[in-house]
Amino acid sequence: MFDAISTSGTGLTTYRTWLDVIANNIANVNDVSPTSGPAFQAQYVQAQPIDGGPDGAGQGVAVTGLPSSSAAGVLEYDPNNPVADANGYVRRPDIDMSEQMGNLIMAQRAFQANANVVERSTDIYKAAIDIGKGI
Amino acid sequence: MLDDIASLSLQAAIGGLATRQRVTADNIANVETPGFTARTVEFESSLAKALAGGDPAQARVGISPSDAQAGINGNNVSLDTEIVTATKTGLQQQLLTGALTSKYGLISTVLKG
Repeated sequence: MFDAISTSGTGLTTYRTWLDVIANNIANVNDVSPTSGPAFQAQYVQAQPIDGGPDGAGQGVAVTGLPSSSAAGVLEYDPNNPVADANGYVRRPDIDMSEQMGNLIMAQRAFQANANVVERSTDIYKAAIDIGKGI
Repeated sequence: MLDDIASLSLQAAIGGLATRQRVTADNIANVETPGFTARTVEFESSLAKALAGGDPAQARVGISPSDAQAGINGNNVSLDTEIVTATKTGLQQQLLTGALTSKYGLISTVLKG
């Protein structure tokens, strides 16, 4: 019962996770760390379909992992930085802002589409519940 | 009296539409999943055939993979098509449940005398 709503719910969860991860990546885009340690690692969302029930209809999507990008980052010459090493270098995360913004739009639109289907499915189930109403 | 051809075919169609909505929800949930193949639901032709044979209960709901062209990540979900399907299925469902209610209303009128 109400399977379509829970299927869209898995989509909402997945794309909300993606939005959270992108927000965190962008919040840390200017982090500076000493060259002795790792740079902030951008995270990515790994997802796969949830296998279907007996009739073959799928049951949504699930986040299977949040892999991180390389910890090497990029070295930047910034001798005045308090964490700079003896040669004046610091480590910054290797985050491509245009990639993150592109992902942000994809995640946002996909979230909206799933929210839309929750509404449509609610109408359908309401109609089904109302069969025979007022007789 | 409650399982005449009209009621049975309406019930079969409502069941088919419910499956279509579930499959559409799944397609949209996987709109960004790499390598995902969309599914489509077809029950109308089977229902028409079953009706021609006089027994709408013989109608089957078929779920099959979509043969639409996949994008660069191997995903072939077309979001605009899916949203149209979701909206259309919702409206059809309201129409059919309304029809079923009217049908039961007739029976109810007869019962009340």
